[in-house]
Amino acid sequence: MSTIRRFRAMDMLRFNNVNLDRYTETYDLGFYLKYMASWPALFTVAEAPSGSLMGYNMGKVEGKGELWHGHVTALTVAPDCRRLGLARGLMRGLEDASEKIHDCYFVDLFVRPSNAVAVQMYERLGYILYRQVIDYYLGDGVMPTEYAYDMRKALPRDVSKKSVVPLTHPVNVEDTFF
Amino acid sequence: MEYRQLRPIYDALEGSDPQRALKECDKLLRKHPNHPSARAIKAYVLTQTGRTEEALALSLSVLETPTAMASAHAQQGLTLAFRALGRPHEEIMVYTAALAHTPNDETLHCKVFKAAARNRMFKEQHQAAVQLNKLFDNPKYIWWLVVSLLLQARDSPKNAAAQVQLKLAERLVEKAVADGNLKSVEELRVYLDVLDVQDKREQMVEVMDVNGQLAALIANDPDLVTQRIELLIKTQAYGKAVEAAIAALKARDNWADYKLYIEAVIASVDPAAAGASVSTICAHLEAWAADRDRARSAKLAQVALATRMFESGFGDAAGLPELLIWGFIDQFQEKAICYTDIMQFIIAHHKAAGKYDAQAAVIDYHWAQLEKRMPAARESAGQSDGEAQAWVNLEKVRYLMQALRGETDPSVWLADIEVLLNFGLTSKPARKKQPACSDMTLLACQRIIQAAFLAHGATSARAQLHSALFKALCVLESGIRLNEGNFMLKLYAIRLYLYLSCYERARAIYDSLSIKHVQQETLGHMILGHGMMLGCFAADMELCYDGVAFYDRFRSKMPRDIESVYDQETYSNIQDFIEFQRNLDCSVQHECTHRYALRGEGFEYGSAKEMVARWEEADTRSIEHTEESLGALHDNRDISVMGLLTPKELAQWDLELLTRPVPMPGHEWIQAFSLVPQIMHHMVCAEIELLQIKSSELAAIVDKHDNALPRSDLILIRGIIDMVALYIQATDQQHAVDVQLDKLVEDVFEDYFEDTWSDLNKKDLLK
Repeated sequence: MSTIRRFRAMDMLRFNNVNLDRYTETYDLGFYLKYMASWPALFTVAEAPSGSLMGYNMGKVEGKGELWHGHVTALTVAPDCRRLGLARGLMRGLEDASEKIHDCYFVDLFVRPSNAVAVQMYERLGYILYRQVIDYYLGDGVMPTEYAYDMRKALPRDVSKKSVVPLTHPVNVEDTFF
Repeated sequence: MEYRQLRPIYDALEGSDPQRALKECDKLLRKHPNHPSARAIKAYVLTQTGRTEEALALSLSVLETPTAMASAHAQQGLTLAFRALGRPHEEIMVYTAALAHTPNDETLHCKVFKAAARNRMFKEQHQAAVQLNKLFDNPKYIWWLVVSLLLQARDSPKNAAAQVQLKLAERLVEKAVADGNLKSVEELRVYLDVLDVQDKREQMVEVMDVNGQLAALIANDPDLVTQRIELLIKTQAYGKAVEAAIAALKARDNWADYKLYIEAVIASVDPAAAGASVSTICAHLEAWAADRDRARSAKLAQVALATRMFESGFGDAAGLPELLIWGFIDQFQEKAICYTDIMQFIIAHHKAAGKYDAQAAVIDYHWAQLEKRMPAARESAGQSDGEAQAWVNLEKVRYLMQALRGETDPSVWLADIEVLLNFGLTSKPARKKQPACSDMTLLACQRIIQAAFLAHGATSARAQLHSALFKALCVLESGIRLNEGNFMLKLYAIRLYLYLSCYERARAIYDSLSIKHVQQETLGHMILGHGMMLGCFAADMELCYDGVAFYDRFRSKMPRDIESVYDQETYSNIQDFIEFQRNLDCSVQHECTHRYALRGEGFEYGSAKEMVARWEEADTRSIEHTEESLGALHDNRDISVMGLLTPKELAQWDLELLTRPVPMPGHEWIQAFSLVPQIMHHMVCAEIELLQIKSSELAAIVDKHDNALPRSDLILIRGIIDMVALYIQATDQQHAVDVQLDKLVEDVFEDYFEDTWSDLNKKDLLK
């Protein structure tokens, strides 16, 4: 339980309890500001009753025609706020905005196969493994180089569910650009 | 043709070689001395090589050339130059001059608008928006004009024109609505903002209650749904607020809506029948609490309601707060967040009980509940991480209770510490690296630190205090070894290492946290400056330069982000971005970082000659502060990240405060280290009068606020004050000696040349 609302610039001064987690990257200011300026409805934060930030979700929309979709760029939850269903709530918010505001066909995201907890969570939320992306994740000293699972969930606009017919072969990183 | 001429310059700039670019500019100008584009681009290149005065002179000269702005290359070069020089007015003049050649160039008009927007020149922004609306038929420009009017009015609210601006903005929006030009939720938010600034709350409600397209926009925006409930409360339409809150809560589980629901209900409570008044909300909360997916929010809302009713004097109309608090703990204690959720209500209830002289009774009640549950919790902690977490949460409540009842006996704080430490570091769950064990280790450390300060906090007992803190450090290091990912253990370790003057290890742990970008503003204070105090100048200077680079990058890039909001038409971000920009531009940490850098560079090891030269060249004008400018600084330093278990008001149990190695730099420190460079500069430039004034100011700060300044900084400052006094004395004496010498020479000449030299020769010699 939390307040899920739009992320504001001032929230960047309060997100240390989320971003100090070693698996959460702190990006350059411009990265966050660009997402807020371009896709404000897809950049949401969960705030605890105590006022501290619990986690946030950064998303964008991209693609053309039937490939017009919402994309989850980053989803992160503070260590002491995990296993509360928060990620589920944030994902639902992004899916709603992708569907009702941006009229997308599907939502997709990349996740490390080694992150079994996350993969399971997305599967429970209705995401399927659409394709694998070769060496999407490069080793950074904390995590190794790894393929990525590109997982997708169709939205109501994709009536025939074309977007979630899985590919049979892995693809290169360049093939994922829109 | 022009591009071909300029190509070598552009190539050099693209290759990040401004020296070569300068050579190419000069080569072209030798052939074509009045080439406007070459001159304009040269002005920009000069800014990149640090020759700012030349750059400014050249830029202004090009700007005064009437035909120069006909060239797009000249325009671009000159605008870049003025941007680099921080001269937004002149940048706009470039576009205005260009418009004289192509008055209907929409791109140029937009550039005028964006230049003003980037630099928060609201009047000029407004004027540019008016032009855009006059000349071009694009509905977007209506919103640019409305936002400009809003910003202008907000910037000077007491200005008589503000009311006129807001009325005009309102009319423009109403026309846009009538013409079907309000299509997006961003435009709707602007409309609401215009009304909000005029306190037209009822009208805002009317706007949000319309049917049709606007209603759909609101329904799809959770923030607007919550805002509507808030507005209904502010306009005292409590019945509608309650209805709206219930509808919102049926659709989604949102804490903000629960809070507003509670607020609306309490505002409409019939004091004569409080129980009956809240019965509906209690029934709703009960029903929602039965739903597993929303039980936590509904249960906490029950606690919140009961606590608010108690605070408002309605007793237990919504249930006994203490019963509900323990009901919540019992149900959710296996979640790590349980204590954070419930802590504010325990504290609020305890505080409200003060009105009835019942604080001791409240603590006794909570203590009894703890004693009932603790043994079983300890017993079953090894069975799962959830059970372990339950014990951790109870131990946190125990910690809070001890602080609330003002426990000062260190032995009480250390009671059962071995039990906590064993579980956190050596038990089977600890060896399996269960997260709750790491939390228990932290809790044990917090107790050790608390006990240490209670037992040995007096200045006479420093050795014992340090010894006790060293033990806490050993525990922290063991905890970090078991769980490298627990950043709280690391934050406390950094603090204690610095407290014990061990910079190297503190710095290594700080580096392992990968703190970067905006975290330099919020967390930089944990380490920056401490190196210098402990003699580790080079390491600290490295951090200073990272910090300075961050602020410089922010200053140059943030305006672009503000501009992009207009391109993307996401107007709700404007006020937020401007506030953020102001916050970081004028922040305590920003000022501290620059002062540390200046101090480190100024007192860097080197020859006396080099040091004198450095102080002579130092630009000290930009760091002068007044009371007003100090008061306007924002303090974004994050201290809440240390996860305190006690309320801030209880200073004696505030571990963040207790573990500060030195007083955190505040206004006094900033002012003192603004004066130090100025004093050094005046001293090497022999500006005696200014030196005396600044030195007196510095002495006044030390006299008044010496306990607000770290000891090592005080030593430096006092040394500088003494040095200035000596310098002034020597200068006075030197002056006295000079005067005596002059008199002596005059006397000698007078006596010697009286008979042999003419007046003219004497005057020449005396010169």
